[in-house]
Amino acid sequence: MTTNETNRANRANRTNEQPDVGRRAHVRIEGVGKVFQRRGQITEALRDVDLDIAEGEFISLLGPSGCGKSTLLRIIGGLVSNDTGVVTVAGATPETAREAKQFGLVPQAPALLPWHTVAKNVRFLTDLHTSSASAAGSQTVLGSAEIDGLLAAVGLGSFHDALPHELSGGMQQRVSLVRAFALGAPILLMDEPFAALDEITRSDMRYLLLDLWQRSGATVVFVTHSVTEAVILSDRVVVMAPRPGRVVTVEDVSLARPRSPEMEDDPVFHEHVSRLRTHLRESHSA
Amino acid sequence: MTGRSLTHRSLTRRLARLGAPVFGVVGFLVSWQVLVRAFGTPKYLLPQPSDILRHIGSDPGFYLRNARTTLWEATLGFLLAFVTALTVATLMAHSRFIDRALQPMAVLIQVTPIIAYAPAIVVWRGFGLEPILIVTALVCFVPFLLNGVSGLRSVDPNLLELAHSVHATRREIFLRLRLPSALPFLFSAARIAVGLALIGAVLGEFFAGVTGGLGYAVKVAQAHVLPLQLWGSIFVLGFLGASATLAIGAVERVALRWHSSQRH
Repeated sequence: MTTNETNRANRANRTNEQPDVGRRAHVRIEGVGKVFQRRGQITEALRDVDLDIAEGEFISLLGPSGCGKSTLLRIIGGLVSNDTGVVTVAGATPETAREAKQFGLVPQAPALLPWHTVAKNVRFLTDLHTSSASAAGSQTVLGSAEIDGLLAAVGLGSFHDALPHELSGGMQQRVSLVRAFALGAPILLMDEPFAALDEITRSDMRYLLLDLWQRSGATVVFVTHSVTEAVILSDRVVVMAPRPGRVVTVEDVSLARPRSPEMEDDPVFHEHVSRLRTHLRESHSA
Repeated sequence: MTGRSLTHRSLTRRLARLGAPVFGVVGFLVSWQVLVRAFGTPKYLLPQPSDILRHIGSDPGFYLRNARTTLWEATLGFLLAFVTALTVATLMAHSRFIDRALQPMAVLIQVTPIIAYAPAIVVWRGFGLEPILIVTALVCFVPFLLNGVSGLRSVDPNLLELAHSVHATRREIFLRLRLPSALPFLFSAARIAVGLALIGAVLGEFFAGVTGGLGYAVKVAQAHVLPLQLWGSIFVLGFLGASATLAIGAVERVALRWHSSQRH
């Protein structure tokens, strides 16, 4: 089946599907396991992970290092293959979805092309693999005006012609965010994108991200090891534990949208945070 | 502080920066001149720089003609080395096996003195331009190859993963990620290779039975004891090498505007 047919089939499936909570499962993860073998040492990165991610949902994978959250993110994105279980992205395999440019990746480091200006960097992913993307017919790649709008929204309106080394770390990460959103991909995969930033910049970036996300309506899978970050950003928080990497619990965040910095003083916010901390502590000592 | 004294200060600083290298070279030549006079060294052993420069000025056509020949050979050999080395480096960067298989050959080419196998190449390929180009290309090849491999491999792994996340083709990854990442490495190699190309061209002229070029002029001057022509050719070769290095530096400053090596 060609990518085109797959996509058409997916769309047909979606309309027939009767989702239980009024939202379609965009990503379905069933019984997924992954084992890494390096220099004779075997690490069970993931064991028996089940998770449904709804379309347009903002979901966080929260846990200590080694809990397999980044691996899970890469399995969803078709960058790493799972050993057991099944992953479907809008009804197709992650590889097919990746070939159809369904994913916008935001890595931990900004990873900008140092030789390109900001304006060219945000179009980098859009410009790659153009032939097949147009064949897929499912792309809603953003136009120039829209991309300029995004750059303005993140406060980089006057930095189109700047080179990455002329920007601060926070500004570089904002370019990286815009680059992912510019792709118009229905699913955004974010691997601790704010981990290297200072606390103040980091806090600003969260609301900036939420703003961009609300404009796009994309599904976001956000990997983090910060409890507060997970709560303020997400609809649901998936708590993971290491050795073997697994899902401990999934917490629904009951804070209203849009989120604001004031909500971080809300007792509800603190209840979520303390409950998640308890889960993390218990799974760690267990 | 007034604005005028500020501009004045920055102007002096700029002049000092540009003047320092000139001062070094002129200082060297002046000390040479002074020492040769002071010790009364005979002209046929070591001429004075002023006489060498006067000699070049007395027959500029001779030096221009020979410089053009040598520069042409050096440029062709340099480009030949660049193209073949980059091709081989691309194969090596993509395959560990090819990399391991070719590494010893690269080291062998580098460590075997070129002066030893230059005559062998002339014996094999005969007299003329061809052996000169082979010798020149061989000496320039290894720096381009080793830097090329490192450069093509120096791509940020995050960028590679990003490219994979949208299913970029190998060609796109090569042209849009690997090649630009390799540029700083290739420029370093080019700066080394400029000098090597001149060595290769001069050495080739020594053995290849040609009757033109600064290497040939050096060979003739040595055989007929013409110290002024000998040193005149050396001066012109030095000038060529320095100019070529400056030219590459200028291109590098523009092409690598984005790279940390160009920030001061």
